Amino acid sequence: MTTQLTAGAPSTPGAWRTSRSRGLAVACAVAAALAAAWPWAAGQFVLHLAILACINIVIVNGLSLIDRCGQLSFGHSAPVALGAYGSVLFSSALGVGTVTAAALSLVAGALVAGVLGWVILRLRGVYFVLVTFAFAELVRLVLLDAGSITGGANGIAGIPPLSIGGFAFDTRERFYALALALAIASVGFMVWLFSRPLGRAMTAVAANPALAESTGLSVLRLQIVAYIAGSVLASVGGVLTARYIGFISPESFATGASVAFITMLVIGGRKSLYGPMLGALVLTPLPEFFRGAVQTQHIFYGAALILILRFLPGGIAGVLNIKAAWRSAK
Amino acid sequence: MDWHLLIGQATANGLVVGLLYLLMAVGFTLVFGVMRMVNFAHGEFYMLGAFAAYFFTTKLALPFLPAVALSFAVAIVVGSLVEWFILKPFRKDELNGMIVTIGLALILQNIALMMFGPDPVSMPSIASGATTILGITVANSRVVVVGFAVVVLLLLYAFLRHSRAGRGLRAVVEDSETAAIQGVRARIYYPLGFGIGVGLAAIGGALMAPLFSVSPFMGQTPLLKAFMVVILGGLGSIPGAALAGLCLGLLESYSTLFLSSSTADMLIFLLVMLGMLAFPRGLIGRGEA
Repeated sequence: MTTQLTAGAPSTPGAWRTSRSRGLAVACAVAAALAAAWPWAAGQFVLHLAILACINIVIVNGLSLIDRCGQLSFGHSAPVALGAYGSVLFSSALGVGTVTAAALSLVAGALVAGVLGWVILRLRGVYFVLVTFAFAELVRLVLLDAGSITGGANGIAGIPPLSIGGFAFDTRERFYALALALAIASVGFMVWLFSRPLGRAMTAVAANPALAESTGLSVLRLQIVAYIAGSVLASVGGVLTARYIGFISPESFATGASVAFITMLVIGGRKSLYGPMLGALVLTPLPEFFRGAVQTQHIFYGAALILILRFLPGGIAGVLNIKAAWRSAK
Repeated sequence: MDWHLLIGQATANGLVVGLLYLLMAVGFTLVFGVMRMVNFAHGEFYMLGAFAAYFFTTKLALPFLPAVALSFAVAIVVGSLVEWFILKPFRKDELNGMIVTIGLALILQNIALMMFGPDPVSMPSIASGATTILGITVANSRVVVVGFAVVVLLLLYAFLRHSRAGRGLRAVVEDSETAAIQGVRARIYYPLGFGIGVGLAAIGGALMAPLFSVSPFMGQTPLLKAFMVVILGGLGSIPGAALAGLCLGLLESYSTLFLSSSTADMLIFLLVMLGMLAFPRGLIGRGEA
């Protein structure tokens, strides 16, 4: 109201509404910034959860990117595993720094995703889902079997923290800054991408591949680009996981992980750019409420999946959108 | 040990495993054919069938055959109810339907975990001793199980081929709209198809319960194998699933003669991925891609 008075704007309903929605946006931004800063003040436990949530945001954004191009991956744990193992194995085998190793593992992950995507993205719908599932199992079996390199079922322990030019991210406070920056960057990347022609083309491919192809878009090429970008985001999450937890084993990247990523995507909202973020933020701390009752937690996950798909196909983001639409219509 | 004895033994083992895969995969592909739904909860019904058989034989002291039949009946009823109350809105909705069955699998597995605990239990063997035919030794319990499985498959074949309900089911698999025009009441066949599909998984579980141990996690490997079988055989194709199931069982058994079992697993995954690209409509070209 004060802005209106000082600007002396005519008090038409439209102007009132825009200034009010701008005020709402500012309030939201301030609230988000406060919420993002809160873990630094709230102690180690909250920091730990916040770091995991940030890592999950990056990974689920990758899954969402592939999904937005029309293909659902049920093996999203595979690129996460490749990123995690790649960054550790490159630094121990080549003796390079942690950042170089991470970059190498991302490049390697992108190459694998490119070749694999070129082959398997010809499949559609559930066939693609099943083949990504088979690939994730294959990756897990290879990691288990190559015990001399990957430590087999025992995994790799004592992974040194990430350090950039002598500055080591070895405390939770420091690591949270890194994870938060990458999470924000990944959300920003998604928003940027889908406001550009490339992102629009991907949406068109997802909506109707045949029509997209007939208007001159290459469905396969766009889906490969999305698959590579989504897998690289997952690998970034993998690198972060390995460097933060300090321990990786093939079991961390089993089917359960892929199911968890899909759950976050669906509960957050598959149709919204902010859905993956919301899903990761809501579901990452959830196990803490069910501590000591893992079964109850999984039953809750399952029921939430079914109920959300049945009654709220847009997920949490869909609910927020409805509210926003209702508010602006009022 | 002669070569041909070794091969014969591997064939016998492969047939036992192949029949299990076949039971799983035929039910799985039937559900997909009727509802266009990849059923990730299929392995959980296998597990429930095994627990039901365990419960009926040890707690109620029923003989094996009625216990298996009861498990099948329980699975059909539970499956039809699940279809009617949970899956109905997601028929023909491939991706969302699949995610819903993931949720269903989570729920079923963890309910079993709460009820029975994580430790595997074992069921008493149904037959003792072993039979030797042409120098190949097979445990009698396996012979009995194979016999049951073959009978179940013959009954299924007769049901699908000659009964009115079975023909209706196949018509719905073929084309549900045309079937509805012809007076087939598709409304009934969705729950029935899902029930029979998961009922076959439950029979698989009940038959295998005396051979392997029973635990809430036992459904995952057969589910994985069912995936691979139906990918090879073509989703929705029942003969394809039958052929591919037997092939996969034999292939696994032979490959363990020459390779370590983890290498064999990896090779089979590669083979399935390649097979899917080379024959996207399944081995005998009847799957509906």
